[in-house]
Formats: sequence, C-alpha cells, structure tokens
Amino acid sequence: MAQATDPGKVLDRPNGNGGEENGLARYEISFGQADTRWAEMLARNAERLLKGSYSFHWLKTDPPNFGRRAKPSSRGLTYTDINNVRPYGEVPEHVDWKSFAPRGALRDPYRAEMPIIEDYTVLDSCEVWADNVITLYEEAKARQWNATRDIPWEELKPLPDDLEKATCQLCTFLTEVEFVAGDFPAKWMYRIPQDFLEVKSFLSTQIMDEARHQEVFRKRAIAGGGLMHSAPGFEWALKAILDAPTHTMGTFLLNLLGEGLVLSIFRSGEMIAKTHVDKEIFRRCMQDEARHVSYGVMQFKYYLDNNHDREGALEQLHRFADIGERVILTAFTEPALVEPVAILLGGGLDKIDNGMEGMAHLWRMFIDEYLQRCARAGFERRERCKLPLDFPWRQG
Amino acid sequence: MSTANSAADERGPAVAFPSLEWFRRLADLMNRNRALHEHLGYIDCVAGFTITDGGAGGRPFSVQVTFEEFEAVNVREARPEDASRADFTLEAAMSTWREMIENIARGGGRPDLTHTLNYLSHMGEPIAVRSDDTMRRDMYFRYNQSLQEFVNASAQIATAFREN
Ligand SMILES: [Fe+2]
Ligand SMILES: [Fe+2]
Repeated sequence: MAQATDPGKVLDRPNGNGGEENGLARYEISFGQADTRWAEMLARNAERLLKGSYSFHWLKTDPPNFGRRAKPSSRGLTYTDINNVRPYGEVPEHVDWKSFAPRGALRDPYRAEMPIIEDYTVLDSCEVWADNVITLYEEAKARQWNATRDIPWEELKPLPDDLEKATCQLCTFLTEVEFVAGDFPAKWMYRIPQDFLEVKSFLSTQIMDEARHQEVFRKRAIAGGGLMHSAPGFEWALKAILDAPTHTMGTFLLNLLGEGLVLSIFRSGEMIAKTHVDKEIFRRCMQDEARHVSYGVMQFKYYLDNNHDREGALEQLHRFADIGERVILTAFTEPALVEPVAILLGGGLDKIDNGMEGMAHLWRMFIDEYLQRCARAGFERRERCKLPLDFPWRQG
Repeated sequence: MSTANSAADERGPAVAFPSLEWFRRLADLMNRNRALHEHLGYIDCVAGFTITDGGAGGRPFSVQVTFEEFEAVNVREARPEDASRADFTLEAAMSTWREMIENIARGGGRPDLTHTLNYLSHMGEPIAVRSDDTMRRDMYFRYNQSLQEFVNASAQIATAFREN
C-alpha cells in the first residue's frame, strides 16, 4: 500500500520577500488563465438564470441513496447511527475522490468537471483509520471542558518558593509541548480527504484539546509566578514529531510514545500537585491525553493489520522508532523537566534526591506501559527499544 | 462495626462498607446528580473495586460497576473468575479504602491532596490498578474525573466499616 508523502515537502511556503506578490500572481494565472472551467460553469448558470429556467437535476435520486432515514440511538444521532445507513458508512480502503464531495453524495456524474485537490495526499485508510475513532470523537465532544471556568482558580494560593518555581517550570514545559500535539494533526488534517471525515472530525477535537492544554498550563504558570525556561532538548523532540515522514509514523511518535509519556506526566502531576487547582488541571488533562493515546494505539494497529506488506512496514517502523525514541528521550532527560518533577515528587528542593528515586520507580512503569501499548498494536518493541528500561540516574 | 462519623446521622442510617448496598448507594447518588456527570461527559466502562480483606474471613470482596453515558447502570458483586468483565479493577486493603472514604467525608465530598484515586494508585500502591489489557486500563485515566466524583459522593453516605 502506498505511503503518503510528507505534506511539508508538498506545501508551497510563502517566503516573505515578495511572497505575497508571487502568490497572488500564481493565483491569478491559475484561476484566471490556466484552468477556467469554473468560468464555463458560471456562464452556464448565468444563462439559465437569465432565461428564467430551472434545472431540477438535483431532484433525481438515482442511485437511490435518498429516503433511507438514519435513526437516532439513545445518545442522539451519532456517526455510527448514520453510518448504519447504506452506503454512507462505506469507508474506502483507498480514496480516489480528491475533492470536497461528501462520501455518499451523488458525485460520479460530476467527476469530469470537478477540480482535483492535490493537497489531499493521505489516500489509504490504513494511514489514518482506527476502529475506535468514532467512539473517541463522541467522547471527546462530550468531555470537553473550559480552562477559564472549570478550574477553581480562586483557590490558587502561593506555594513555598521552591515548589512554586518547580510547578511553574513544569507548566512552562507543558506549554511548550502542547501545541505540537495540535500542530501535528493540523499539519496532516488538510492532507486527509473528505472520505475519512470521521478521522478529520476526531483530529479536530485533538487540536481543540491541545489548545486548551496549552492555555491551562500557560494560565497556571502566569497565575503562580510566571513562565520559566524553554529548552532546546524539548524542541528537538517536538521537531522530530512534526517532521515525521508519514502520518502513521508521526502518530506513533506523538500519540503512542510522546503522549503516552505526557499522560504519565499528567498522572504524576496530579499526584505531586500541591494545590487543588493543580490537581484539577492535571486530572482534566489526563482524560484528554488518554483519548489521544487510545487513538494512537488503535491507528498504529490498524495500519499494521491492513498493510499489504506487514513485515516491510514493521521494519520501516522499527527504523523510525530507533531514531524517534532517542530524540524523544532528549526531552525527558532535560534538567528543566527532570529537576522540577523530582522537587515536586520529593516535596522540596532539599528532598530532590528522594524525588529522583521516585522518578526512577515511575520511569520503569512508564517504559513498561509504552512497551505494552506497542505490543497491543502488534509492534513488539521490547528487544529493540532505545529507551533505557531504568532511568539513567547515578549508574555511572 | 464502626462508622466514619456516627452510625446514623443526618445522612440516614449507616451502610456497611464494603457491601453491594454501599456501592448501589453511590450509583444512586451518581444517577441523581446527573447534571454534574453530564457536564463531565460520557463514561463508558466497567470499573471493578476490590477490598482485598473486605470479605468474610478476611477474603477479598469485589464489586463491578457498569457505567454508561452519564449513569451507573449496574452494580454487582464479582467473583475472582469475573475479573475480566471489568475494564480495570482498583484493588486495595480495607485500611486504604477506609482512610480514603473518611478523608472524603471530612472534606465534605472532596479528598485532600493525598487521598485522590490517582494519588493513591499512581505508584502502584496502596491502590493497584489491575487490567488484562492496556487499552482497557487506560479507561481509568480517560474517565478519571468522573470516577473521582463517583467516589466523592460517598461523603453523603453514613458509612459503617466492617471490622474483620
Ligand atoms: Fe495535550
Ligand atoms: Fe494530547
């Protein structure tokens, strides 16, 4: 099965200097000279309107998809309910409609006249689909929350200096990482054609979730003292996610590994939180993050289960993970992350050594959970994992 | 048997913990507090609660609660062979459950910082999260706030703790 190309390579980036002028000139040529089929349609429509005549072609329902009514289930009318009406739920293995025409609409008679959206490059369902994607979309809509009013901000009280700074640094790290988890799906979303509408819908909820996470951690830091240090080690890990060559590879690195580790940080954050405000923030984020991890595991599984060359795909993914795991480790060994977490775990700067012992215990759990998720997807990574099974603390 | 506060108080007659009845009361409270759970969102899972020394003769006592949409739709006692029916099971000794429930009651329905479900389970003890599948275990995190509110409602029950 063909793999989608990196959208970054296809994307025509405006270059700033004269970019607007060049872009406008290209647009004028494209729509004004090169391809003017739209103008023929405009003329046809105008002529009909001027004559005062009707077309009524849209009233014909052949093939007869019309008239099979979807029925709501106990929760209302879900994608599953409408997908139970044939043929609306038939998700193609390979998409050959690179347009906005809705899946299940009468579109074949118009194929020749339709423009082709070349930006749609993710054409195989195995690159994006997951068997739980509709459930997760419904759950995501139902479990949205509001960082402005669902957190008891009025209860936030200053902490001792070391704990406040550690909390603010942890929140700064999280503010830095949250947007990549929105930017990655956003980068790919417009490469995904309309026939995978359920996936696009779910990814839009992930983008909203990540905007809220960035918002809540930024607010927590600034309400508690301020934003602290960014770190190059975080940035390289994030770049490795954003630059992943395919959607599935990036989903593995972001949703399964990266967000799996971030989910662990949220769980740790809830445990080590020194205020009810922080507890609530981490619990809320934990729930969203677990949905993203859940999509990542099942998308990865779907990719492997539906790939016509499973062995070849596995080997490519191992090669990708060999690099990805090590780059991600850069973020999770940065002092700007490790030290504040250890201070919060230990209960103060003077107890940071105790905190590091706690980190070592948690690390073993995190890595074991990661390897379990890989195995669940059909990716046996235990023998090849580049992440240390024990946290590299005082082993030298 | 001793109670968190008094045997019977303004919350009504004391209910024994652990018991099927106690978890059914929690389920009733959740279902009556639908607005809160609608605000939190869907919860779709089967959660197990095991009190390792809460049964007769100090044997384990387990309950499974089925959550659907915004409600707890079923509460039943579970035998060891029923374990896999639950997506995940929270397992701890009576002393841990008791401390948590008493702490929630003292906080008027909110535990202090060291008695939330996640606090008590994150390190693998004193509450262990058991599941035979990583995807099903992750539901504990996906619905954590709803599960926390589910147990927080125990502040509204006068609880009589069984002594073994
Ligand atoms: Fe996030
Ligand atoms: Fe996320």
